[in-house]
Amino acid sequence: MPGDHRRIRGPEESQPPQLYAADEDETPAARDPTRLRPVYARAGLLSQAKGSAYLEAGGTKVLCAVSGPRQAEGGERGGGPAGAGGEAPAALRGRLLCDFRRAPFSGRRRRAPQGGGEERELGLALQEALEPAVRLGRYPRAQLEVSALLLEDGGSALAAALTAAALALADAGVEMYDLVVGCGLSLTPGPSPTWLLDPTRLEEEHSAAGLTVALMPVLNQVAGLLGSGEGGQTESWTDAVRLGLEGCQRLYPVLQQCLVRAARRRSAAAPS
Amino acid sequence: MASVSLSEAEKVYIVHGVQEDLRVDGRGCEDYRCVEVETDVVSNTSGSARVKLGHTDILVGVKAEMGTPKLEKPNEGYLEFFVDCSANATPEFEGRGGDDLGTEIANTLYRIFNNKSSIDLRSLCISPQEHCWVLYVDVLLLECGGNLFDAISIAVKAALFNTRIPRVRVLEDEEGSKDIELSDDPYDCMRLSVDNVPCIVTLCKIGCRHVVDATLQEEACSLASLLVSVTSRGVVTCLRKVGKGSLDPESIFEMMESSKRVGKVLHMSLQSVLHKEESLGPKRPKVGFLG
Repeated sequence: MPGDHRRIRGPEESQPPQLYAADEDETPAARDPTRLRPVYARAGLLSQAKGSAYLEAGGTKVLCAVSGPRQAEGGERGGGPAGAGGEAPAALRGRLLCDFRRAPFSGRRRRAPQGGGEERELGLALQEALEPAVRLGRYPRAQLEVSALLLEDGGSALAAALTAAALALADAGVEMYDLVVGCGLSLTPGPSPTWLLDPTRLEEEHSAAGLTVALMPVLNQVAGLLGSGEGGQTESWTDAVRLGLEGCQRLYPVLQQCLVRAARRRSAAAPS
Repeated sequence: MASVSLSEAEKVYIVHGVQEDLRVDGRGCEDYRCVEVETDVVSNTSGSARVKLGHTDILVGVKAEMGTPKLEKPNEGYLEFFVDCSANATPEFEGRGGDDLGTEIANTLYRIFNNKSSIDLRSLCISPQEHCWVLYVDVLLLECGGNLFDAISIAVKAALFNTRIPRVRVLEDEEGSKDIELSDDPYDCMRLSVDNVPCIVTLCKIGCRHVVDATLQEEACSLASLLVSVTSRGVVTCLRKVGKGSLDPESIFEMMESSKRVGKVLHMSLQSVLHKEESLGPKRPKVGFLG
């Protein structure tokens, strides 16, 4: 029943009780900086989407769905210049629209469903990381819609969303040059900062800097990079990128198996 | 971003030139175009700056207002960024067309200032949990000639250097109610230290080499760029890949090394220009908008 705002004079905003709790001194435990959490990936689970994928890594749960290709909105734009490498002209190339959403109960504090700035930034980051992998020239005047929904944020959310989105695109049968694998990193603060691979939410909250790397493993090309914070000098960031790329390569076999299993399931379910 | 039509032959010309470290206007791969910086151009703001980088024209105004601190950080003030891509810059920005680019630039600015050392936010606190200074940094894009992020970050740094925040005192009476008193002298102000404010260096990958400060034509030939936000001491605060293409890991490492070199030179020249302009005092010749 919606609250009656004229008679019930409560506070305008609501806060979670943890804000007023005594400061808990929860520091993340020391661990091997190169450990990756075990990943559960499953593709082809939503019946209404062309392609879908669910990824779980530690406490992070992401669900991604792909729909399309359908006719691009935005009307006709005049024939633009041809892209480098003789692909279809810019106006004829397909478009990839990515949407990243957090469920309101995904983090410690409830977020309003219209997240605003941060979600648009992450949606743009998803698009920039997936575009190098998708052969958009094969879908002229069409658009592919990718929507990632973060069900629970347990650390490295953007990296998990990237991986799930690439799996969903592959499951949808979209033509791609390679899969995109994402990996998150965070820098421990303090006198001897170390970069940790695949941080948990606690480690991310206590970190001085964070980085997400997206790699196309077979082509060995970096598809996306987004990092910020007090990371120190360029050498420190270079080490972080190297560590992230290594993590992505280690994750690749799991994703290959997931796609093979999904293909088998689909062929077994199809009426012969 | 403004679009420009280039033929295949022009693209090949630009790409081959860059391979030889010679760009269309004669610069080397790591040279900036001539930058003009002028501060204190708008009188109604607490601080303002105008930067002209080739054909790119940016105007930044900083207004300091009093607000309540955020709940998680009761002892600090904060900065709010807003970027407006005006329709003067290019016809594509008419109506809501420039909103996407504006939010992207604003989000990047939030990201580069999202750490403890860029700006001393504690100096913006007036009384903890109750009052603090909020700096509204408004960026206006007047003309788009390529390399927007670099020009905007230079303008933001110059505007923050020029910002004068009035000194306030909190008076408490016997009942405990607080009153804020502004000093009578209009020149009694607090200045911000911009030593650790980062500047963005955008490196565009063209062929196998990368260029700094790309023009619109060069941006049309490049598929991927790396945006590095670096301070004068070489500390990197933000790293982002922009564009539709992918980058080789080795070229990323090379680009980061370049950005450190280029960033240091950029910061040094910006600091010297700002200090020189400040030292000329109120009698300095104002260039304004038609100079």
